[in-house]
This record gives sequence, structure tokens and C-alpha cells, in this order.
Amino acid sequence: MVSEIQFGWSGTIGNVMLGATKAEGGTRRVSYCIGGGTSLPFIAKDHSSPAPLIAFEVCDNPHYWSPIVRTFCGDLVNDLAGWVKTADMSYKADLIRLHLNSTRQRDFTNITAIGKTVETVLSASSLPLIIEGSNEPGIDSDVFQRCGEAGQGERLLLGTAEASRYRSIAAAALAYNHSLIAQSPIDVNLAKQLSILLKEIGIRNDQIVIDPYTGALGYGFEYSYSAMERIRFAALKGDTDLAMPIICSPTDTLSIREVREADPVIQEEMAVNWEFYTGIAAAAAGAEIICVRHPKTIGMLREAFASMKARVDPTGER
Amino acid sequence: MALKALDIYKLLPKKNCKECGDPTCLTFAMKLAGGKTDVDLCPYLDDQAKSILGATTRPPIRLVKIGVGERSFRVGEDTVLYRHEKTFYHSPGIIFRVSDTQTTEEIAAVTKRVRDEKFTRVGTDLRFSGIAIENRSGIAETFAQAVATVEQQQAHLPPVLISKDPVALSAALVHCGSYRPLLHAATRENFKEMCTLSRKHGCPLVIRDATLDGIVGLVKDCTAEGVQDLLFDPAPENLGAFISRSTLIRQHAITRSVPELGYPVYLDASWSGQQDACLALGIVKYASVIVTDPLTPGPAKASLTLRQNIYTDPQKPIQMSPGLYRVGNPGKDSPVLMTVNFSLTFFTLQGYLEASRVPCFMLIVDTEGLSVLTAVAAGKLNETLVRDSLAKFGVGDEVIHRNLIIPGYASPLSGRIEDATGWKVLVGPRDAAEIGDFLHEEWKKKP
Repeated sequence: MVSEIQFGWSGTIGNVMLGATKAEGGTRRVSYCIGGGTSLPFIAKDHSSPAPLIAFEVCDNPHYWSPIVRTFCGDLVNDLAGWVKTADMSYKADLIRLHLNSTRQRDFTNITAIGKTVETVLSASSLPLIIEGSNEPGIDSDVFQRCGEAGQGERLLLGTAEASRYRSIAAAALAYNHSLIAQSPIDVNLAKQLSILLKEIGIRNDQIVIDPYTGALGYGFEYSYSAMERIRFAALKGDTDLAMPIICSPTDTLSIREVREADPVIQEEMAVNWEFYTGIAAAAAGAEIICVRHPKTIGMLREAFASMKARVDPTGER
Repeated sequence: MALKALDIYKLLPKKNCKECGDPTCLTFAMKLAGGKTDVDLCPYLDDQAKSILGATTRPPIRLVKIGVGERSFRVGEDTVLYRHEKTFYHSPGIIFRVSDTQTTEEIAAVTKRVRDEKFTRVGTDLRFSGIAIENRSGIAETFAQAVATVEQQQAHLPPVLISKDPVALSAALVHCGSYRPLLHAATRENFKEMCTLSRKHGCPLVIRDATLDGIVGLVKDCTAEGVQDLLFDPAPENLGAFISRSTLIRQHAITRSVPELGYPVYLDASWSGQQDACLALGIVKYASVIVTDPLTPGPAKASLTLRQNIYTDPQKPIQMSPGLYRVGNPGKDSPVLMTVNFSLTFFTLQGYLEASRVPCFMLIVDTEGLSVLTAVAAGKLNETLVRDSLAKFGVGDEVIHRNLIIPGYASPLSGRIEDATGWKVLVGPRDAAEIGDFLHEEWKKKP
């Protein structure tokens, strides 16, 4: 008899809760508990972790957004509440990821608007929410404080903490009990360092989702793929500083040459497939939140994840 | 357990006859211990020694050659579960399938496409690997005719012949028997006849069984029939079954805990109704021959790119060589943008610069592959490096202005760079996606 593999691993990927239902002190209609894996992704017989979640990305300033998405979604991109509602009800995302890219404008000061935007999104959809805040040390503190406050009780996932700038975001996560995304540049050791830094200022492991940075397919994706595998492997071997769920956020996918310069007739197909192949491979490497920007990618990923999570006996005995 | 060279040597004839191609039995033993040669090359070994050595000295996954000539490819001989442990060597063949129920024109068109289509990226031609012909008609003559149609295109592509019927395969092999086609598939019911065909034409053979015990049994039977070049079709019933079974096969093979599992994996991606997911998973999870229906442009490029990415050597540092790179056709007054030689930074920035349609120079400085953020923090990116790089790559001769755009994350260095170089520094955005707007707005505003 061919036996199942005994890797002898002792580690478990820690759990992180996303969103809070009424019973949990929030207003979301669903909350997710990710993590919990005890083996390689999709091969554990006990199916200790759920299928990866699919996050649909929206933004509050579509001027910077991919023209491919703007064409597909049409006027919706100018109506954040409507866009988010459609992502929930029609595109059927698991999560909304809001990019506050209005803060990327030079000399941005309208902090009050940030809180309103977050409230708009929270009331447009009752899915759990990921928020990408500012990228400018001068306003980080105000922006994250405002996001944290507006989403109090909702167990948001706030992004993105990096080794050089994590204090503002951590402060907001601590003050309002949210989780955060910890991004390191494609390196398992730097990912570990950052989670230690976060631990030192009081962030718990169950508040961290690791973003090893995802290069676009064809533009360094292989490094991200291996970084994800190494993080998962280290976690299973017992490194608790890396035993957190992974988020895959290939933000440049729709801007790379193969997609940008594709013949208009096939551009949408190219965009969706580029996101899809990236998402499947990242999930196989261990990512548990897959971010996409094209609505059509969502259904394809969901169908594939269902088949990847189907219960099977690895040796083929039935 | 792997044997040591001296243990192997004890089992060899010690004649130093050189017939294996090695000067002495000891050097042959050392190669065997490293999995670098084949025990069958020694003509004087008795069967018992052969069976002991065969199991422990051959590569953990057998190397199998599919097809002949320029488009032939080799699969197997991979040694790790994770690409970061070493590298994945033999990338999977992606094979387009036709059916003998299709018209001659359709079959010829797919064949020509696989023959001619290529897609060049990062200096490498990416192509599909071969053509599979399936005997859906169930009629031997129709199958043979379809195979003849493929061969008439003079494509010299590695063929895969898909039929349960040895009679149909035999008829098809009349047309392509000398091209080492891969035969699919031997099962518990037909393996004897399949082995006979495989031996006669020297073809590699796929074993199909949905249980690993069944596969192990068939491996024993087929090797006993004298067929060594085998692949497995683990007939997965869903994507989870593929990941699990393929991983299990790979792990048992490389640890030699079930040596009979030491053969490459064959995957039919189109069975599932989720061909793209199956293809992507086949590429990352150890499939060696993947059969799909012909792909539309999106999946075609995405799958070839994923295969190229995953089979890149991960030990290669993530670095570009430092220097002055041109985007478009820059002139004397074009912008100069400095950044680090982390290849992801380079490719990302280059992509956005091309999209901006502003011709410019990229000055890539040597931060040993560190990203901007890390290089600034580590002090690797500093004013001396920028000054020396400007001089070394003759940037001052290429442009008449003295304005240098630096990454947003390098802004703490702007004053020191100005002092060290005499160039005026413009701090660019932190996010490469915003470089287009920056060039169109800020660059034009400069004094």
C-alpha cells in the first residue's frame, strides 16, 4: 500500500478573523476565519483551512485605476457605493478591498473625506473590508486613525505596514482592534523581521496577514511564489513568527505589457487570465486571500478553489 | 536508502573493461552513487546485482524523452518538492489535443499552429510542445488517418497518441512509429498489448490508474514486460485530487520511499471543465506532460509565462546589471530616472515608463539586488554610489540638462545626492504606477 506522506510537521498556520457580525460586535453579515492549515495547501486530508478568499479591489479615485476595469465597469467606478454594492451582489466577491488612492495625490489634506469614504463602503456592502490607506508618512497617522475609527468593531484588515513605516497603522489596529497587512519585499527573513517588529509594539499574531509582495506573472512572480512557499514551510516547521495567513496582491497585473498592449479584441481575456493564472498559482503556494481587479476573474477562481478543496484521498483509494 | 560508491563497487564485476564508457569500475560506481549514469550500461552485471543497484542508483525520477529531433523534449529527473530547494529542471510539455472526429482541415490547422506559434519574452522563445491525437471515433482507420494528417504538416512535433485500443494505436504507429510518440494509456486491462507496441516502436508509455497502488502494480508489470520509459496518469477526479496525488508521487519518488513512483506525471487538463486551473496547477505541481484543448490567446500566453517563471532557476540573484538603459528613443533633453538593480523594480518601472510614452533614460545603480526601501535603509543606496554611477555610465554625455529623478523612497538622500553630484534632484513618486503622471506634470514644470 502506498501510504500518505508523513512530513512530521508540528506547526499550524495561525487564525486571523476578518469582519465581525452583529454577534461579534460589528455589522457584517459574515465573518471569516482564515489560517489553520497544518500541511501543504490543498493536500491536508483533514481540510483544516477554508478555501482561499477572493477580494475585489475598488478605489476612491478611479483616475489611477486600470482602463480595462474602467471600461468593463463603466460609470460604476465613479460611484463608489454602487461599485461596492455590485462587487458584493453581482460580482460575488468574498471581500472588498478599498484603495484610498485619493491620498496619493500630492499635498493631500482632506482627511475628513477619508472617514466618510470608509463609512460609505461599509454601508454599501456588509462584506468584511480591507482598506489600503495612504503611502505618505506625513499623513499616515491621520489617515489610519480615521479609517480605524470609522470601522470600529468591524475587524477591518488595514494595509499596508512595511519595515520602514508600520507605527501609524499598528496604532490604529491596536486602538480599534483591527488586523493589518505586513508587507516585506519577497524575502522570508524580512517577513519574519517585520512580524517581530510588530509583536514588539503589541500587535498579536492573530492580527497579522503576511504580504510577501506579489510581482506580476512574468515580472518576478516566481520570486513571490517561492517566498510564499518558504513562509508556509517555515510556519509548518514551527516558526510562529511566520505562522500567519498570506495575502496575494499582484497590483501591477493589469499594467504589464502583455495585458496593456494586447489587441483590444482580446485585452479583457488577457487581463482576466493573467489574474487567474496568478491567483491559482499563489493559492497553490499558500496564499489565503487573493486580490483581483477584474470582476470576471472572481467566478473563475471560485469554481477552481471549490475543486481544489474537494475532499479526496491522496492515494486514490475510495 | 541510497548506496555509497564503495558499496556499489562491491557489486560491480571489477573488470575495468571500459564498456560502460567509464575508465574504471570505481569511477562508474561513483557516478552511479550520484545518480549520474545508468546501471544498464554495465553489460556484465547479473540480474540480482542489477535489481539491487537499479532501485538505488538511478535518478529518483526517470528521465523520459518524448519525440525526436529539434522539438523533442525531456521530462523527469527532478529532485525536489520546492523549487527554492534547488530548481525545477525539466519544464512540462504543453500539448494541444485534436480528435480524429475533427475534419482534416481542423487537425491540420492546430498542427500548424503548434508548429509555428511562438511568443518571445525575456529573450526566450516560448512554444507549445507537441500534438496529441485522440481516438474518439473508436475506429482504427479514422485514427490512423488523423495521425497521417498531422504528420503531413511536416511539423516534426512530439506526438501523443490517445487510445485504449492497441489495434488503433498499431494502425496509427504506421505513420509516426519512428518519432517516439507517447502512448496513452496502459491500464490493468490492456497493458500487455500496450507494452508490446511500446517495445516494438521504442515509445514511452503512459500508465493510467486512479489509485497509486494500481499505478505501482502496473509499473511492476510494465517493467517486467521490458518497458522502462513510463509516465503516470493519476486520473484525478478533481483539482484537489491532482494536487494531492501529484505531490504524493513526487515526494515518494524523491525520497525513494516508493521507488516504483519514480516516473514523470502526465496530466489531461481538459477532462475537468476547468482547463485553465488544471493547466496552472499542472505547471506548479509537478506535471511533466500536460494535454489541453488548443488555447485562446489569454491562457496561451499566461500558461507559457507561468511555466517560464516557475522553471527559472531560483538561485539566480534577482538583479539587473547596472547601467544606463533607454526607454523609447531618448534625446539630449530626455529625463533621467535613477533606481536600483532589483529586477522587479526595474521591470515594473520600465513597464510604466513605456506606458507613459515619454522617452527617457533609466540609470540602474548597483544595490546588489536590494529594493529601494531596503537599499536606503541598509545604506547601500547612497550619494557616492549615485555619483560614481553617473560617471561610470557617462550619463553627463547623454543629456544636456543636469536633472536626476530619484525614487520617492530615496527622498531622504536628495540633498546629499545634489551635494555629491552637482545634479539637481527631483523626487519622484513612491509608486511606479504614478510615474507617467509625474513625467507629464512635474518634469515639464522643472525650471
